[in-house]
Amino acid sequence: MAVVRARGLVKTFGEGRVARRVLDGADLDVEAGEVVAVLGRSGSGKSTLLHLLGGLDRPQAGSIELAGVDVARASERALSALRRRHVGFVFQFFHLLPELSGEANVLLAGRMRGAAPDAPVRGSELIDRLGLRQVAASLPHQLSGGEQQRFAIARALVNDPSLLLADEPTGNLDAEAGTEVLRLLRAGADEGRAVVMVTHEAAATAMADRVLRLGDGKLEPC
Amino acid sequence: MLTLALAGLRARGSRTLLSALGILAASLVVGTGVTVGYGLATGFERSADGAGLPDVIARFDPERRTTVDERVRALPNLAAASYRYEVLNAPLTANGHHNHRGAVNTIGEGRRGYEILEGRDLAASRAGEAVVEQGLAKEWDLHPGDRIRIGRELGELTIAGISNAPDNVAFPLATTARVYISDATVRERLGFTPDDANVALLWLRDPAKADVTLTQARAVSFGLGKLEFVTREGVRVLLSQAAGIVISLLVAFSLVALVAAGTMLAAGAHADVQRRLSAFGVQRALGFSPGRIAALQATEAVLVAAPAALAGLAIGTLAVAGPSGELLAALNERPPGGALALPLGLALVAVLAIVVAAATWPAWRAARRPPAEILRGGDVRPRTGKEARGGLLGLGARFSTAARGRFIASVATIAVCAGVVVLMLALASLLERLRDDPGTVGKRYQLTVRAPEWMLGAIRDVPGVDAAGERYATEAADSFRLGESLKLVAYPGDHTAFEAPPLAEGRRVRAPDEVEVGLGLADALGLRLGSTLAAQLRSGAEVRFRVVGIVRALESSGRIGWVQPQRLLEGDPDLAPGIVVRLDAGADRAQVTRDLIEVGAPPKSASAATTRSGQFLAVLASVLRGVGLAVGLVCLYALVQALTMTARERRGAVALLRACGGDARAVATVLAGAAAAVALPAAVAGIVLEWAVFGPLVARLAAGFASLPLAPAPGHVAIVLAGLLALAAGAIALVARRVLREPVVAGLREE
Repeated sequence: MAVVRARGLVKTFGEGRVARRVLDGADLDVEAGEVVAVLGRSGSGKSTLLHLLGGLDRPQAGSIELAGVDVARASERALSALRRRHVGFVFQFFHLLPELSGEANVLLAGRMRGAAPDAPVRGSELIDRLGLRQVAASLPHQLSGGEQQRFAIARALVNDPSLLLADEPTGNLDAEAGTEVLRLLRAGADEGRAVVMVTHEAAATAMADRVLRLGDGKLEPC
Repeated sequence: MLTLALAGLRARGSRTLLSALGILAASLVVGTGVTVGYGLATGFERSADGAGLPDVIARFDPERRTTVDERVRALPNLAAASYRYEVLNAPLTANGHHNHRGAVNTIGEGRRGYEILEGRDLAASRAGEAVVEQGLAKEWDLHPGDRIRIGRELGELTIAGISNAPDNVAFPLATTARVYISDATVRERLGFTPDDANVALLWLRDPAKADVTLTQARAVSFGLGKLEFVTREGVRVLLSQAAGIVISLLVAFSLVALVAAGTMLAAGAHADVQRRLSAFGVQRALGFSPGRIAALQATEAVLVAAPAALAGLAIGTLAVAGPSGELLAALNERPPGGALALPLGLALVAVLAIVVAAATWPAWRAARRPPAEILRGGDVRPRTGKEARGGLLGLGARFSTAARGRFIASVATIAVCAGVVVLMLALASLLERLRDDPGTVGKRYQLTVRAPEWMLGAIRDVPGVDAAGERYATEAADSFRLGESLKLVAYPGDHTAFEAPPLAEGRRVRAPDEVEVGLGLADALGLRLGSTLAAQLRSGAEVRFRVVGIVRALESSGRIGWVQPQRLLEGDPDLAPGIVVRLDAGADRAQVTRDLIEVGAPPKSASAATTRSGQFLAVLASVLRGVGLAVGLVCLYALVQALTMTARERRGAVALLRACGGDARAVATVLAGAAAAVALPAAVAGIVLEWAVFGPLVARLAAGFASLPLAPAPGHVAIVLAGLLALAAGAIALVARRVLREPVVAGLREE
């Protein structure tokens, strides 16, 4: 059964003569336990697709169904709740808050009102599982890129989401750290999550169950 | 340059608008301060010059003009003189109004000592005309051509003109309403040619030597009864002292607003420069000089500040022009009119200079660094020393304190504003207490009774009466400086049982030849402990006292002295006492009043600082509360500015929070933490500032009059804290609304 189902997504940036349609009727279904890698040229709309799937932005046309919610038409409050409980984001540049330790960054999402009740416990377990206990109290600027991305993955998983969205998660890491991050994403999928990953890396496409290419605003199998 | 600057401003539309609003608010305050302050500071001289106010006005019992003129002509330093015959308590009727307190002046030839504001002056040959003072004209809506009836004999006269003379405040602030008529009118209506005078107006060649002339005048005044002098300098000093406090407050308030706006703008400009460092780096790499970058910043600042400051000054000026004109008219002073253009122009230049300096300096400093260094430092990174604790609130607080300069500027601005608000509230309460509570001015009695002395026993026996005693009060003039009037109050024995103004220096009166003088009188006459106060009583007799104490008295502007009655009674045997009544603590005042009426001694409530100025004090208290409210708006601006800057700087962090599922409440909690980090220390600092600096400073300004207890009361502190809380909530709501309207992805892209 599809965790997320997108149909006929349209997204245009700009207006008039400078308008650029980056998504033009894109369709996508992702099943639980499946890793889908999305390839495409720079500016082809890969990140936009992730933003739409995760409820960070709204399409101009089309529909997205996630956890029984019509993402395109949901209220801001409903979208917040959806992101809190059902979506985890992993970004290329980690986006850890520099004022918080690695552990506090992980627990940040779990301490919000409406978060999963077991999120603090899960966060602590994730830190142990991802081998981050020794650096849990460190601030982000004291961590390596790989460590920062592992904390970011732990943060994405702390509310046990059904959909994990990763935007070039290895783009800012060396090969070894990148491999480790991909392994963690695969493990996330193996636990029953749907994973959508935007990437340019061959190694990343190798571990994916399906590889799609985004071109002319549409998703096509590679 | 202009095109580039305009493009830059358009690109930062919302920030530009916020800066413009801040400049407008500050300029508005400056505009009001300049308009009222300049009007009050220069009003007397302007009106006195316009009216040709005499240097000395002498009042005396009626005497033939020729006799008075002979003596006046003998005075040294005399440039000109003219004479009037003034009749007080004349009934006036016009336009459906009636008053029994008219002061009708019959004027002969020579200088007038007043200015015609509307219509024309009296003509020597025309009878049946009158000139009325502008206070009366305004109060009764009189214009040239209208009719006014003066008593039965003079009958109805045509109003030829409206006059203004700043030697006294205007009707109805002054109880008497002045009307001028000519000799011709008296001749026509009363059938005789006026030959008497009881007022002489003297113009001197060298006004600085007025004291010498007064001494001579005193010497040649033999035969003139009840001689009193008022000097132009004396009137000016009195009005300047009263206006001085208001002007000082307004100037201080304007400076506070200007400094607040300046620091906020500087902090904003600094943050803006930090954000645009990489752009500066690119511009430098493309060959822009630091001067050109700074000039661009200055051009942007001028483009924002000039219209905003102009609008603010104009709105501020227009907003208070009416009330300020009314206030000046009540003091018989003219509004500045076109003369206000220069100080307003200077204020505009000052506002522009501060804004341009605040906006340009950070850009100049940044642009002078090597381009490579600027490019490296293009990213803003908050300090990351210790981990933020306290959940989302703590995170918000950390966001707020990360930019140290702006944080300190925000706290300082809000602290100063909070301090000013506490001060305004304390002043307003004090004014109301001065109006309503006799205890504020050192009075320990609550009731006064007009009854013969033999009733004292019966009054003392009334239940609820703690003490009752005789109180003598009389007006007098200083014998050495004849223009100075003063009030003498006497109690048999220890006056502190009924009146105990706080002692500033020396001791209380113990003997009949001793006096305690108010600070205002001590300042005016240069009295010190051990000095001699020589007072000329209404009877013409002179009494002398040795100064043994100086007290902080508010009554009669501090121009008052407390003595024992023996010498007053020797000098003026007709002086009759009133009876003052002190009530038991917790006594039922209404019941005591009923009992006193029953024994034939109907009481009146004791007045506080002054009963006639009660309404004025109430208006002033309202104005001060209004000013407090305006300062509160500056607080709101500072809070919104601080939160907006924080939200802009940490746009990515807020977006991440939202991406992780943070809803409106989570964002508001972060902003609440940021607001609390600024508002809480600012509130504490503001209260301390008022207690340690503002209160004592303002009290010192008024020390010539009295001691003003301006320490923050718990109620004021609670109001300020609640107000700050409400303002912070408002600021949070405003900024949160803006933040939440922005798509999450926009913030993530910036991060």
